[in-house]
Amino acid sequence: MADIWWKADPHDLHRLTDRVSSVYVERSHLDRDENAVVIINKRQTVRVPAAMVAVMLLGPGTRTTHAAIRLLADSGTTVCWVGEQGVRMYAAGLGPSRGAGLLHRQAWLVTRPKERLAVARAMYSMRFPGEDVSALTMQQLRGREGTRVRKQYHHHAERTGVPWNGRVYVAGDAHAAGDDLNRLLSAANAALYGICHAVITGLGASPGLGFVHTGKATSFVLDIADLYKAEYTIPLAFDLTAQGLTEERDARLGLRDLITRDKLLTRIVTDVKNLLTPEGAEFEDSEANLLWDEQVGAVSGGTNYADSADLSVYGIGDNHIAVIGPDLDETGPTS
Amino acid sequence: MTIIILVAASDGLRGHLTRWMIEASAGVFVGNPSRRIRDRLWELLAARIGDGQAILVEPARNEQGWAVRTAGRNRWQPVDFDGLVLSARPKNN
Repeated sequence: MADIWWKADPHDLHRLTDRVSSVYVERSHLDRDENAVVIINKRQTVRVPAAMVAVMLLGPGTRTTHAAIRLLADSGTTVCWVGEQGVRMYAAGLGPSRGAGLLHRQAWLVTRPKERLAVARAMYSMRFPGEDVSALTMQQLRGREGTRVRKQYHHHAERTGVPWNGRVYVAGDAHAAGDDLNRLLSAANAALYGICHAVITGLGASPGLGFVHTGKATSFVLDIADLYKAEYTIPLAFDLTAQGLTEERDARLGLRDLITRDKLLTRIVTDVKNLLTPEGAEFEDSEANLLWDEQVGAVSGGTNYADSADLSVYGIGDNHIAVIGPDLDETGPTS
Repeated sequence: MTIIILVAASDGLRGHLTRWMIEASAGVFVGNPSRRIRDRLWELLAARIGDGQAILVEPARNEQGWAVRTAGRNRWQPVDFDGLVLSARPKNN
């Protein structure tokens, strides 16, 4: 067994909030060299301080090796593949979190209609400060939200003088239709999704278990990102269009500057935690290798329980059924 | 801000450090690792520097405003002059 001294312990890793939000790479080769994550293209080689970055966004034309991904996972960096113009396609990664406490909690909330509605309400109430939404149904909440977003578009159109002709969006191909403003909005949103995704996986929650959105593998990402669009990506897209900056890159850079200015990463972390955990509850994020038990909760894993002195303690007494295969013919096949 | 300087360190060790800090020039690393991570990185560096030298300069609450740690062979030693840390060279250097 080779000595893998370079493996990072969870204690070696910066918390998500202490990291730089994102690094975007395109048309390069991502590899591992001398224990470092390196980006190589024809012009130069750059080493990525992966443990300082929350999410790596890999754009078109990137090639990556198994070793590079292994190092990124070890650094607790989320890796996010994004397509042309920053539309997110797929994201994966093992964040710095190694425990499953938050994930359990999320699954528990999302599978109980009453609790789920409470979380969805809490999400909406974050967007309507000072309003009481506690008596509204989901349908009413959706209606309110639609009105609010439309108001935002018109407000910013007036503010910047950029004409707003409605959100043109083709599901699955964000840039198939629409003007510069729509394209910028899609690009900025995609970057925001990537960052929210990084926070969610980084905290050890699931991107797929959404409260308002449902059905997509990234439903919870969409839920969380929606909390910030009115404040960040919508005004940003209008501002950039007004200044004649219409490249997707401008949207990404603009968003990143805003994230830094407002310490948005920290806020996303706090919001996700507050939505999923009851007041004051702290989840131990320790990596515990346990086996679930219906009576005692959990027993420690990595143990062979076959020699356990008294199995009946765990209720396996006389009731357990053994399924045993047919006796094998000792002599082997004859024909 | 923290600065780490590695002299005659293995390539693998230098590469490893670039995951936490930025290598501004050969063997010179700059970054803002937290205290806990500095300690852990230093532990690893000190254990693996072998015949090379490792120097870590970090912010500290003293009159100078910084503190220095060194590890390795034939290294210059920080010497404490009543709270002011100076550097003592080895004889043949």
